[in-house]
Amino acid sequence: MSLVGVDVGGTFTDFVIVGGDGEIKTLKILTTPREPERAVVEGLSSVKFSEVLHASTIGTNALLGQVGLELPKVAFFTTRGFRDVIEIGRQNRPRLYDLYFQKPRQIVPRELRFEVDERTLPDGTVERAVDLREVEELARRAKSAGVVSVAVGFLHSYANPSNEEAAAGVLRRHFEYVTASYEAAWEAREYERFSTAVVNAALMPLVGRYLAKLDDYVKARGGRIYAMASSGGLITIDEAARRPVQLVESGPAAGVVAAAELARMLGERRVISFDMGGTTAKAGTVVDFEPAITTEYEVGGESHRGRTVKGSGYPVRFPFVDLAEVSAGGGTIIWRDAGGALRVGPLSAGAEPGPVSYGRGGSEPTITDANLILGRIPSAIAGGRMRLDVEAAERALAKLGDPVDVAASAIKLVDLEMARAIRLVTVERGLDPAQFALMAFGGAGPQHAAEVAEEMGVNRVLIPPMPGVFTSLGMLMADFKFEARMAYPRDPAAGFEELERRLARHSPDYFLRYADVRYAGQGWELTVPVGADASRDAIRKAFEERHAATYGFKLDRDVEIVTIRVFAVVKRAKPRLRDPPKSGSPEPSEKEVYFDGWTEASVYVREELPLGFEVRGPALIIEDYSTTVVPPRWRATVGKLGVLELRL
Amino acid sequence: MRWEIVHRATEYVAEEAGIALRNSAFSPNIRERMDHSVAVVDAEGRIIAQAEHIPVHLGSFHIGVANLLGRLAGEGVDLEDGDAVLTNDPYISGTHLNDVMVLYPVYWRGRLVAYIASKAHYVDAGGPLPASLNPRAKTIYEEGVVVPPVKILRRGQINREALGFILENFKTPAVARGDLEAQLAASRVGAARVRDLFEKFGDVSEQWREAVEYGRRLALAEVGKWPAGRYEAEDRLDWAGELLPIRLSLEISEGGITADFEGTARQVEAPLNAVLGVTFSAVSFAVRSAIGGHLPTNHGFYSVVKVKAPEGTLVNPVKPAAVGAGNLETSQRVADVTFLALSKALPGRIPAAGSGTMMNVMMGGVWRGRYWSYYETIGGGSGGRPNGPGVSGVHVNMTNTLNTPIEIAEREYPVRFTAYTIREGSGGRGRHPGGDGIVRAFKVLAPTTLSIIASRLEIGPWGLEGGEPGRPGRVTVRRRGGVKTIGSETVELAEGDEVVIETPGGGGYGRP
Repeated sequence: MSLVGVDVGGTFTDFVIVGGDGEIKTLKILTTPREPERAVVEGLSSVKFSEVLHASTIGTNALLGQVGLELPKVAFFTTRGFRDVIEIGRQNRPRLYDLYFQKPRQIVPRELRFEVDERTLPDGTVERAVDLREVEELARRAKSAGVVSVAVGFLHSYANPSNEEAAAGVLRRHFEYVTASYEAAWEAREYERFSTAVVNAALMPLVGRYLAKLDDYVKARGGRIYAMASSGGLITIDEAARRPVQLVESGPAAGVVAAAELARMLGERRVISFDMGGTTAKAGTVVDFEPAITTEYEVGGESHRGRTVKGSGYPVRFPFVDLAEVSAGGGTIIWRDAGGALRVGPLSAGAEPGPVSYGRGGSEPTITDANLILGRIPSAIAGGRMRLDVEAAERALAKLGDPVDVAASAIKLVDLEMARAIRLVTVERGLDPAQFALMAFGGAGPQHAAEVAEEMGVNRVLIPPMPGVFTSLGMLMADFKFEARMAYPRDPAAGFEELERRLARHSPDYFLRYADVRYAGQGWELTVPVGADASRDAIRKAFEERHAATYGFKLDRDVEIVTIRVFAVVKRAKPRLRDPPKSGSPEPSEKEVYFDGWTEASVYVREELPLGFEVRGPALIIEDYSTTVVPPRWRATVGKLGVLELRL
Repeated sequence: MRWEIVHRATEYVAEEAGIALRNSAFSPNIRERMDHSVAVVDAEGRIIAQAEHIPVHLGSFHIGVANLLGRLAGEGVDLEDGDAVLTNDPYISGTHLNDVMVLYPVYWRGRLVAYIASKAHYVDAGGPLPASLNPRAKTIYEEGVVVPPVKILRRGQINREALGFILENFKTPAVARGDLEAQLAASRVGAARVRDLFEKFGDVSEQWREAVEYGRRLALAEVGKWPAGRYEAEDRLDWAGELLPIRLSLEISEGGITADFEGTARQVEAPLNAVLGVTFSAVSFAVRSAIGGHLPTNHGFYSVVKVKAPEGTLVNPVKPAAVGAGNLETSQRVADVTFLALSKALPGRIPAAGSGTMMNVMMGGVWRGRYWSYYETIGGGSGGRPNGPGVSGVHVNMTNTLNTPIEIAEREYPVRFTAYTIREGSGGRGRHPGGDGIVRAFKVLAPTTLSIIASRLEIGPWGLEGGEPGRPGRVTVRRRGGVKTIGSETVELAEGDEVVIETPGGGGYGRP
């Protein structure tokens, strides 16, 4: 059995291949953005596989206006009087002080929004049944306007979808692609539910055709293909084609899944995953081996201090692995602004042209250049195949002041930025970062991890094996996760059972239950895990504890269970990671490295380090696609599965 | 340690304290609409870093902290370690009664090194009407209860008498108590993080001074490029059939900007008066937006903006003028008039006027045996821009609060919505038309007291460069026996009455 994980990114398509013998290989191919399946097929043609696991940014790219991935004409059918709910959104502007702000481009233009006579009330009573003849007539009009895919969203359909269902039934006679809002996101709050339906409708034709091509190719080679969802679970191609909205942002989720699975193997109950690459750093939390999820997400939106900026993208109500994202990576540019301040980011030189020291035309100094001149990364990387130009990096940094001072300050600034953003999103969710270990990966993660941890009050860092490709490994470690939900259940226990019956066809190994709960009258909910006892009282108790932990108090008020959600989990066999050699006596070399002053540091080669070996900082531990920096006062120990544990 | 690092770290202190406030507060205004802010202030009272989420709080600390420290010094009150001072007096804090301000000193090694200042919008601050917004108020005493500066904490102990007084008078005491605890928690978090900074980096006053210098330098780098001179503008605020002039003479020089409001209407016997803090915030907002790009919210930026407002006017009233809506509506018009003056200095860079009203809707009554109250604001059109049309259905200028989802409002209150659409054709015509306003309409299912506080109901938002003005807003009540247009007032609704609210479109830019 051979597994292949494919991560289709905007620039590169990454492959991780795990053979039956447990050997791991990697492959990188340039993506053709308008035809993302090309790189996938090209890569697969050179390897053997039985299963292909796939993550892609095709959905996000299409919504962001990628040339060649034009969205189809989409129509929206809604309750009379509420045509523009999807345009007004939450009525806020994404940037406070920007006179030229824009709302995201409308997916459905006003002339393709059709109002229908119908009304359902909050308690589910149908006040006015939907006029199906009217729907029929409007459907014909949409068809003749060239509409390919339609969404339908009626007020209060989460309480009773019968009107919406009936309308969708009529529409299915006219269109191949129909999305009903209650199917896309069965929950209250009309704008978010309608938006999810519209995004789904926009993606269905495009993603459906793309997945069908890949499915045909893989089946013809005798294999099977599954898709990674943004919840961090795998889903079938059929499910993905029906609700493609769950594929957006599936790539970054894989990193947290990998961290969760490694945490399970190590028995680590509280982990913050920290994935720092070329342009961004992403952090997620893993408690009891399950990645934290959020249902608040905006596709194509901006983030500020690690959090999504409301109104900057298209809201999608689906479970997402909860990630805080900061514009900070190896390619992040160091500069001075008009006020003379040293600044880091948010602009990045990315992979092209990349850092100055790569010699590919980059002229602005980057974080990688700073690490290089401070001796924190070797001057030959990628297994010695690529030489970095230290002098060019130094010249570029010298334009901003004393190069060593600028480099050291820039690294402190970027570490501070990442540490504080991660700290904010954990504190915000009622978690104390001091109780967590930081699991760092991505090309640049292990260089910065110890100092980021120290800044955020964390004193343990874990570096997984092969940190440079760890995210792609995550897909191979994921389980199947199928989701269903229900709004305002009368009896939550019965509601959970009903949802589990609906998911039983997947023959799951177990179910995960969650409830979104609030105090009556509050405008927001907290998500709490629910156990076997799903009575109202048990959920209330779990909610009150979570509320007290997050916000510091409980209230003597009724609680309201707004949405319940079930994941059916089907376990898969995981690739095995090997332990390091039992013995060996690695010989370090010495190198001048800058930590608040130049100092002599030991340099080790990671694969030579035996189990239990201890490295005292200051030291560097180098490997093919990454370097772990062990600052003074820190110690690193080689643990089982080859995980490096750094302690202050 | 480099000042840039200390500066960023201090910004995050303000941000983290802000999160502590929001997370433990109970008022929906704070938790969902982010109507709060926290600042780190140095020992001299200069704002070093501030986390604010709606522009009306921008700059109100600059005035508020200075006022409060001046008042304490005048009375010979010292702040000891563990003390906290609270006030909601708008004439000190610089906004309105609902905004409760807390000032908390930070001691490090026995020395006062900083303050944490916070402000949060309480859902109610006493007075005759729900939410303490009263369209009929002639003085501040018909709006709510004024709490003068009191030590709410003395050496870490809560002042029971003061707390009891506040909770007895704010009409939702349990909520007020929660909000106050949240503010104190945020103060402690902020103070602890500031002390961490001092422990880690030593005395950082020097780095803070540099951060302030930097803010000033960055602002002046842009303002210095603007053509120096004096630019005049006038706009009007409509209230109960009157058009109150707001007149501005804006002076731009290399050293900064001075906004002089000589010639503005006298203060009125209505809640429309904007205390100086609000006026300063609105001017700062417009200047900051015109500067664009990244700018730290600190004393350095504030020091570039000066406001001269004659006492006893709409933009600098004298107690006991009512001020509840000065924060909501007059602030919008002050921003508009500042933009209008700036458009003369910077032709081709400033958009036409946006809707210019928050369109505040307050409702309440007794339903199914329970008292209920509901407050919302409604966005409008933004003005046409030199490079393209305005945006439809969005909040402009001094607010950015979210709407309440219809499905949630209908579950919790006796209302049934009948429309929520873009008000087509309301944006002013122009080469680049203004954005359209919103139509939001609902029926009430039980007898209801409705109050509206709004402006731009009589004259629409102005256009620029030959663009036409946007359509003014309109509030209509449809009841048995007729249709009636209402203004900023309180009316009684019967079951089944329908209210249709149309908000203004933005002005157009350039000849159509």
